[in-house]
Amino acid sequence: MGSAVTHAPALEGRADPEPRHGPVKSPRPAELKRRGRRENLAGYLFMSPWIAGFLLLTAGPMVASLYFAFTDYNLFDAPRWIGLDNFSEMFGDPRWRHSVRITLWYVVVGTPIKLIAALGVALLLAQKRRGQAFYRAAFYAPSLIGASVSVAIVWKAIFSDDAVVDRTQQLFGIDAGGWTGDPELIIYSLVALTVWQFGAPMVIFLAGLKQVPRELYEAADVDGAGKLRQFWNITLPMISPVLFFNVLLETIHSFQIFSSAYIVGGGAGGNACGPADGTMVYTCYLYVQGFENSRMGLASAMAWMLLVAVALVTAVLFWSQKRWVHYEEGGR
Amino acid sequence: MQQGGNAERQAGRRTILKAAGASLAVAGLGATATACGGGSGSGDGTVTIRYSWWGAEDRAERINKTIALFEKKYPKIKVKTDFQPYTDFWKKFNTQASGGNPPDVFQNAIGFLRKYDAKNVLLDLSGQVDAGNLSMDGFRAGLEKFGEIDGKLLGVPVGSNSMALVIDKPVYTRAGNKPEQGWTWDDFDEAMTKVRDRTGRAGDSGMYGVMYLYDLYLRQNGKAFFTEDGLGFTEADLTTWWTKAEKGVKSGLFADAKKVAQIKPKSALSAELAGSEFTWDNFTVRYTSEGKSEYGLAPIPTTDGKRTGQYLGSLMLSGYKRTEHPKEVAQFIDFMVHDPEVAKIMGYDRGVPTTQAQYDAYRPTDPVNKAIAAYEESLVEAGVLEQITPHPNGADICEAAFLRIAEEMALGSRSVEEAVEQFFTESKTALAG
Repeated sequence: MGSAVTHAPALEGRADPEPRHGPVKSPRPAELKRRGRRENLAGYLFMSPWIAGFLLLTAGPMVASLYFAFTDYNLFDAPRWIGLDNFSEMFGDPRWRHSVRITLWYVVVGTPIKLIAALGVALLLAQKRRGQAFYRAAFYAPSLIGASVSVAIVWKAIFSDDAVVDRTQQLFGIDAGGWTGDPELIIYSLVALTVWQFGAPMVIFLAGLKQVPRELYEAADVDGAGKLRQFWNITLPMISPVLFFNVLLETIHSFQIFSSAYIVGGGAGGNACGPADGTMVYTCYLYVQGFENSRMGLASAMAWMLLVAVALVTAVLFWSQKRWVHYEEGGR
Repeated sequence: MQQGGNAERQAGRRTILKAAGASLAVAGLGATATACGGGSGSGDGTVTIRYSWWGAEDRAERINKTIALFEKKYPKIKVKTDFQPYTDFWKKFNTQASGGNPPDVFQNAIGFLRKYDAKNVLLDLSGQVDAGNLSMDGFRAGLEKFGEIDGKLLGVPVGSNSMALVIDKPVYTRAGNKPEQGWTWDDFDEAMTKVRDRTGRAGDSGMYGVMYLYDLYLRQNGKAFFTEDGLGFTEADLTTWWTKAEKGVKSGLFADAKKVAQIKPKSALSAELAGSEFTWDNFTVRYTSEGKSEYGLAPIPTTDGKRTGQYLGSLMLSGYKRTEHPKEVAQFIDFMVHDPEVAKIMGYDRGVPTTQAQYDAYRPTDPVNKAIAAYEESLVEAGVLEQITPHPNGADICEAAFLRIAEEMALGSRSVEEAVEQFFTESKTALAG
C-alpha cells in the first residue's frame, strides 16, 4: 500500500505552467527536484489525517494486541508475559472448540446458500422485463438494513416460540416450539438471516452477467445448446472472476459474524450467545472472554488466531482460483 | 479482466486487514478509554459527579426525581446519570474502570466488592464517615456492616432484600398449595407436582440455575456456595442437585428450558410457564408490571423444618477510589440513604430501605409492596436471618457460568456429569484470576 501513495499527484503531464506561450522548455533538473519535493510534501500533508488515523487506530492497536496475545491481561493490572499459555488454553477449552465448530459450520453452510440465492435472483433480474428496477431495489434492500441491530431483534421475534415461523410450522403439524430457544435450531435462523441479505453479492453478479457477450449465447443457440448447457458452459465460466470475488468476500464476512449471533442469541441474561451456546460463534466467544471475563490477553490471542485462519482460507481460495476462475485470454 | 483480478485481489486483502483491525480494536479499547478523565469542576465552585446504575425505565424515572431533590438541596453539586441493564452495566463499567474513567458513584452489589477492591477501584468511605460527610447511623438490623470488607467501607446499602419463592397466587390456590414458614423441600416437591397435575403448568421456572438459591440449600446443610477464596461445595454435592433437577425437567416439574430461553428477558413466571420462581423478594414489583396474574411471596423451603439459610442481600452505592470529589460523593450517598423523601419516591424498587428513617417514611399502601414488607418482617420474626457468606474475587463469573451450564443441562445439551465438570473447570479459572 505504501508504494501506491508515494506517487506524486497526477500533474506531471502538465509540468510547464504556460505551455501555449512559445516553445516548450524543459525545466532544469534542480527545479524539477524541488517541485517534486513540494508536491510530495503537499501529498503527505493531505494524507496526514489518514496516516495518523492508521497509525493510531489500526497499526498501534494491532501491535498492542499482538503483545497482549502473549500476556495475562485483565485490563486493570499490568500485562504479565505468559508466552504461549493463552494459545494452549484456547485449544484445551471445549467452549472455544465449540465456537470454532459452530463458526466453520456457519461459513460452510451459510455462504454457499447465500451465493446460490444471490446468483439465482441475479439471473432472473438480468432479463429485461417490466418493473425490473423495482425488483432489484426490493431484493437489495435487506442487505442495506441487514447489519442493523433492529433487524436482528425482529428476526428473533419472528423465530421465537409461538411466533410467525412457529405457527406456520404448526400448520404443517410440526411442533418444534420456536427456533431461538433450541440450541440446535437457533443457528439455522442465523443462516436464514444471512441468506436473506444476499443483495450485495446479487448486485455484483448482475454486473458480471451484463459483461457476458451476447454473441456467445447466439452461437450456442445456433449449435443447439439448451439453457442449462449454456449456463454451465458459458455463463458460469464467464462470470467466474465475479463468482470468485463474491466467494472470497462472503467467506471472510461470514467468519466475522457477530451482532446477529449476539442479539438473536440473547445478549442479555445468563447467556451471552444463545441457549446452551447455540450461537456462540467465534467472535461472540472472543467478546465474552474480553469483556465479560476481563481476559483481554486471551481475547487478543483469539483475535490473532482468527486473523491467521482467515488468511489461510483466503490463501487457499487464491490458490484454487487457477483451477476454476477463467480470465479472458491475454487480458485487458 | 486481468486488471479486474488485481483490483479484486486488493479488495480481498483490504477486507482481511479490516477484519484484523476490527478484531484487534478489542485490544485497542483499553488504550483509548483513558482519554477523557475527571476535570468536572467549574469557576463558581459547582462540581459535577457522575452516577451510574443498572435497571430499567421505571427505575430511571424514580431516580431522576431523587436527583432533582438532591440538586435542590446541594445547589453546588450537579449529578449526571447513566444506566444500563444489569449485564451491560458491568461490561461498560469494566471498560470505563480499566481506562481510569469510571463514574464517581455507582450502584454495586456484594458479588463485586472484592473483585473491584482487588483492582483498586473502590473508595474506602470510612474516611468520609470520620469527616462527617456520610453518616452510618440509623441503619436497620446490622445493615451498616454490609459493605464492609477487610475493615474497609466499600459500599453503603441502599435497599435490602431476601431470596423468596415468588408464586402465581391463583395458580397456587387452584393447586391447593398452602406454603408456610418451615416447610421442607419434600413439601415443595409435592407442591410442584400438584401445580403440574392440577393446572397444567410447570411447578417452577428453573431453580437449578439460581446460584443464590443453591447457596441457601448448601447453608441449610452446613456448607456454602463460596468460601473466602473458592467454592464451598464438592462435585458430588452439585451432582446430586443437578441430577434431581434433570429428573424434574424430564417430568415437567420444571418449565421447558427452550421456552424459558425464548421469552427472556421476561421471566418464566410472568410469562405463565411456571407456577413459581425463586428470586429476590423485590422482584415481585417487576413481575406484577410484567404479567397479568397476582403474585405473592412464599417462604424458602427448608431441610430440617427450621433453617432457611437466608440472609439479607442488598444493592449498594459505592464511590470511585480516585474520584476528584470524594466529599460530594459521600454527601450524595448520605442523602440517598437517609433522606425520607427519597424513600417515598423510590418505594421498594431497590428493596426495602435500609435506614430506619427511610423505612418509616415509606409505608406501602398497594398490595404488592405490602406483601414484600410483610415478608421481610416475617423473616425477622421467624429469626431465620443469618450472616451472608463472603463472595470472593471472580464470584460474578461463577454465577454466570452456573446459570449458563445449568441451562445447558436442562436443554439436554450436557449430561449432569459433563455439566458439573464444566462448572468446576470454569470456576477454577475464574477464581484464580
